[in-house]
Amino acid sequence: MVPAQYYLLLSAAVFCIGLFGVLTRDNALYFLMSVELMLNAANINFVAFSLFWGNLTGQTFALFVIALAAAEVAIGIGIILVLYRNFGSVSVTDAATMRW
Amino acid sequence: MSAVSIVNAAAAAPLQVVLPEWTAIAPVLILALTGLLLLTIDAIWPGRNGNTTFAFVSALGSLAALTVTVWYLVAGTGQVGGSITLFSEAIVVDGMALFFTAIFTSVAALVVVASHDYLAGHENAASYYSLLMFATLGMALMAVSNSLATVFVSLEMASLPSYALVGFLKKNRGSVESSLKYFLIGALSSAVFAFGISLVYAVTGSLLLSEVAAGFDDGVAGFAGVAGIGVLMIAGGFAYKTASVPFHFWAPEAYEGAPAPISAFLSSASKAAGFVVAFRVFSTSFMPLLDATPAIDWALAFAVLAVVTMVLGNFAAATQENVKRMLAYSSIGHAGYALIGLAALTAGGPHNGDVMGAAMAHLLIYGFMNTGAFLFIAMVEYWGVGRTFEDYAGLSTKAPFASLAMAVFMFSLAGLPVFGGFFSKYALFASAVSAGFWWLAAVGAITSALSLYYYSRVVKALWIEQPNGNLDAIDSKPTGLYAAVIFAAVATVLLLPGFPIALETAEAAASALFA
Amino acid sequence: MAFEYVPAIVLLPFLSFVIALFAGKYLPKGGALAGIAATAGSLLLSIWAFLTVRSQGAYQETIYTWASGFGEQPWELTFGVLIDPLSAMMLVIVTLIATLVHVFSLGYMNDEGETGLPRYYAGLGLFTASMLGFVVADNLLMAFMFFELVGLCSYLLIGFWFREDGPPSAAKKAFLVTRFGDYFFLIGVVAVFSTFGTAAFVGAESFPVLAEEAVAGDVTVNTFGFDPTTWFTIVGLLVLGGVVGKSAQFPLHTWLPDAMEGPTPVSALIHAATMVAAGVYLVARMYGFYAVSPTALAIIAFIGGFTALFAATMGVVKREIKQVLAYSTISQYGYMMLALGAGGYVAATFHLMTHAFFKALLFLGAGSVIIAMHHNENMWDMGGLKDKMPVTYWTFLAGSLALAGIFPFSGFWSKDEVLYEALIHGLGGSPLLLGAYAMGLLAVPVTAFYTFRMVYLTFHGEPRTDTARNPEPVRWNVKFPLSVLGVLAVVAGLVNMVPVQKVLGLEGIDYLHQWLDQSFDPLTAHHYAEVSPYSSGYIGGEATTVLVGAAVSLGLALAGLLLATYLYNVAEPTEHTAKLGAIKDVLYNNYYQDEFQVWIANRTQSVASVADTFDQGVIDGVVNGVSSVSLFSGSRVRRIQTGVVTNYAALLTLGLTALLLAFGLLGGWFL
Repeated sequence: MVPAQYYLLLSAAVFCIGLFGVLTRDNALYFLMSVELMLNAANINFVAFSLFWGNLTGQTFALFVIALAAAEVAIGIGIILVLYRNFGSVSVTDAATMRW
Repeated sequence: MSAVSIVNAAAAAPLQVVLPEWTAIAPVLILALTGLLLLTIDAIWPGRNGNTTFAFVSALGSLAALTVTVWYLVAGTGQVGGSITLFSEAIVVDGMALFFTAIFTSVAALVVVASHDYLAGHENAASYYSLLMFATLGMALMAVSNSLATVFVSLEMASLPSYALVGFLKKNRGSVESSLKYFLIGALSSAVFAFGISLVYAVTGSLLLSEVAAGFDDGVAGFAGVAGIGVLMIAGGFAYKTASVPFHFWAPEAYEGAPAPISAFLSSASKAAGFVVAFRVFSTSFMPLLDATPAIDWALAFAVLAVVTMVLGNFAAATQENVKRMLAYSSIGHAGYALIGLAALTAGGPHNGDVMGAAMAHLLIYGFMNTGAFLFIAMVEYWGVGRTFEDYAGLSTKAPFASLAMAVFMFSLAGLPVFGGFFSKYALFASAVSAGFWWLAAVGAITSALSLYYYSRVVKALWIEQPNGNLDAIDSKPTGLYAAVIFAAVATVLLLPGFPIALETAEAAASALFA
Repeated sequence: MAFEYVPAIVLLPFLSFVIALFAGKYLPKGGALAGIAATAGSLLLSIWAFLTVRSQGAYQETIYTWASGFGEQPWELTFGVLIDPLSAMMLVIVTLIATLVHVFSLGYMNDEGETGLPRYYAGLGLFTASMLGFVVADNLLMAFMFFELVGLCSYLLIGFWFREDGPPSAAKKAFLVTRFGDYFFLIGVVAVFSTFGTAAFVGAESFPVLAEEAVAGDVTVNTFGFDPTTWFTIVGLLVLGGVVGKSAQFPLHTWLPDAMEGPTPVSALIHAATMVAAGVYLVARMYGFYAVSPTALAIIAFIGGFTALFAATMGVVKREIKQVLAYSTISQYGYMMLALGAGGYVAATFHLMTHAFFKALLFLGAGSVIIAMHHNENMWDMGGLKDKMPVTYWTFLAGSLALAGIFPFSGFWSKDEVLYEALIHGLGGSPLLLGAYAMGLLAVPVTAFYTFRMVYLTFHGEPRTDTARNPEPVRWNVKFPLSVLGVLAVVAGLVNMVPVQKVLGLEGIDYLHQWLDQSFDPLTAHHYAEVSPYSSGYIGGEATTVLVGAAVSLGLALAGLLLATYLYNVAEPTEHTAKLGAIKDVLYNNYYQDEFQVWIANRTQSVASVADTFDQGVIDGVVNGVSSVSLFSGSRVRRIQTGVVTNYAALLTLGLTALLLAFGLLGGWFL
């Protein structure tokens, strides 16, 4: 059996990759995809520790997270669509008229 | 002895002995049904501009939810004889849940009434009102969440409609930009939050708050790193919802760009929702960590965040030219004050209930005064007068009653001793001092003094400066907006004599969590 | 039962204030008679209360609770009276001097045809009432409120001649400088409340008692993380800020010489019995609190000793008679502070009493001279008044001998006891006190010198101007107060002949010691001596020390007197100040302190608005500075919000990482 720490390391790595994408990508769609990675890092933990603790709570919750992530993407795509209509691009740095 | 506790004592038999237990979440159900009803009406008569109908139904729904909530609160539901849990303890109804549901539904009702005028001429009124109702539903669910699973789901249920509402003005670049920023920061924060929950699950093996607490009871030796990172990431998720540093960056833009009624809704109700769930999670689950070895001193982390938030919010607000953005920053500052309710907690501390109760009472009063202030902005936007302090000059000549109400909101937000905001701040700082956190109270008092400067600028512009000729656009009196603003002002003033009752209710509800 | 009438002691002068204010212009003498009647009534009631304390002991009653808190610590804010030997004695002093000042004012104001008399008598009435309210206060907050009222009245009275240039600016200065000290006092009051939950002076739950028990470890109070002694020192020093301002101690003494711009009877009242006395009285009132903090006591003693010497040297070169007296006041209150700091509670009270009599006498005497000189105050224009106004001369001489500390006048006894207490406690292992004692001792010959320089220049020699040759006569209303005070200045020392008792081995003639021991248990002189951190040491035996100390100070005083006689008791005295060389300029200009304060003000504010902002005082400068710093930092802080959402994500991540690292490393999660 794979020790629990390895799952933690894996999920932490996936989380960091997602975070890296969030911080470096200019395109709003990439931003969304990176957030998905971070959420899935959480899912890895949930499923792995569901096995570790021997209850189904974690697995069930992972399903919730996936469903909510889908809803989030639906809203996100809608916002990115109106962003494109108003600013003519899907770059997150173009929409920067409000500051200070 | 206040009226509430007299009634409590009289109702020796709790209401839910007579009614089935599931009726305890009736406010939540009413909100859900209202949202669905709005969608049904829109489906039956598509394309019809039913602004008035929808506003009427939504107002009725939120007022019904408010009525039931207050009834429960007075009748002692979830307070006399312990809290009521449903769905295998995933849902809990107690004094704190009802107290905050009352805040959400009152703010929602005010915002709905004000939106009727603000939305005149817009299409898609049905989606606006139903999103508003669903967001309120999400907040009400946050108040009754008793498991990290329901916490996460309800938090998303409140957030997702909010993103859409902020970007509701699809052709307004400001609205779209703020919606994008709100959404992106929100998505990032919820990912952080979910990861934090997964780490806590990894350590304790459960998501139910009580079982998480039990899992932490034996200390976290060996897992302190995992547990600590998890707890702080969860704190980050709440910091996002309450617009606290360093997760506050969305707030100034979202509040400035959103339709003003939505700014009111987000900065009052959504912030309070973040606090109720943070209060419940940290006081129920994470208290054992404060004196474990090694300790995970999240209270100190909140204290640091509270200080930074108070300072940043108030200092940035002091130099704004745009009144709405000034209010946005001041709202960040107030998040810092309410954070004292978490920061001043100590393991087994005798003042925990007082501190948290004072923060709850502050959020109640803040709900009215801040909503009122943003609705005044909504009225000015409705007239198309402009957004800066100069544009507001002399407004009292055209709209004396609304300007008077605005002066009440401003002075109450600053904490002048004539309105409700004074007592709530006083109770908050006093309880922090008695809990030994005098430095938090000192920072709070100093930043409050600074806040008087920028709040009084608004009053000065309204009442003292001369109009500069841009007020001719004011040609109508939006009845709904007026009614909402005046009602909020009356509530702010009435909460001065009514404050002891509010504080006692809040402290009783908070103390129940530490019992 | 006399104590039931105690509130009337305060209310009578207040009534005279109301009468003078609203009906003064319809009354003969502009309300003066109402004032005299009211203060005389207060005097009689005070004497009655004094005698009742003597027969029945001290008394405290809460009269009115005007606010009570809710929550954990139900604070109560109250008005109440505390009549114990200290306050009863002070009541008699204040009402006596106020009565005499009212009578004197008939001569100084009415007979001179001043206008605005109702305003003057209203101010005097309120001034007296505020001071009496302060004296009877049974808690620190009430004391603070009346303390502030005293400050306000001094502003009104110093600025009485508001149409001239000097008085309004002097009044403003007095108000602002004392207010600066009062800010610290206010913070101190809040600190006392938040530490002890009470500000009562007396009772088992009073703050001096709680402080004593907290230091002993018997109770715990909220000391905000400090060691109790450290925290009480901080609180004590905060309250001391108000004392230093009101009692004109270094470095907040600069308002007092300027306050001479007010009418002379007002100066007498301010210096002898009310405003300046308030500071020292406050320390004596809460002496139990200071006694637990050796550091605070040492600071008080040092400020006192330094002020005594410093102010005395400035008095040496002044030309105006009232200026000399002003500096002597600062110097004498320095002695009282020295006594308090050196553990000499009774000595300080004693000097407070004798000083009240002889300083009121000197000011009224100076007022009489000023009437005679048609309001010319320059001593170099006087001379030879001795024969023209004998009553004024002899009484003034009595006051001067008392001020200079010449045996057997009252000032000798009290000043000697002050120095004696400093000496024995210094010898008993507190070398710092010896330094303060040395400064106090050095001030003795200087005091005697400037006092007799003043006497000789004013009354002796040949008249130097026409006015001095034909002075305006003064009437009974001037002579009567002078005579009463003159007698008191001579004999008041008899109430506390401790040196005689110690040297001759007599028992029971230290009446003041016995008197101050009759109070509530923790407020007795006896108790203070036990609490105070000092022990005594002697040169040889106790009697020897008494004799040596008295001989040294008397010898120094006589030396100063003789030097003044040699230089100025001649037919045509000349200015000898040139002999001082450059020091003269320094002394004339009061060590350039005013200039220094202006210089600081100029540096701290932008050059363009110097004149304007200085007028508004240092406090406004601080406020403005804080607000512009706030606004500047606000405009910096908001720049974090760059508008680019990627930056927000980066800052958010940074913030979270910083929190995680800080708490993880400090909390030891990763070990």
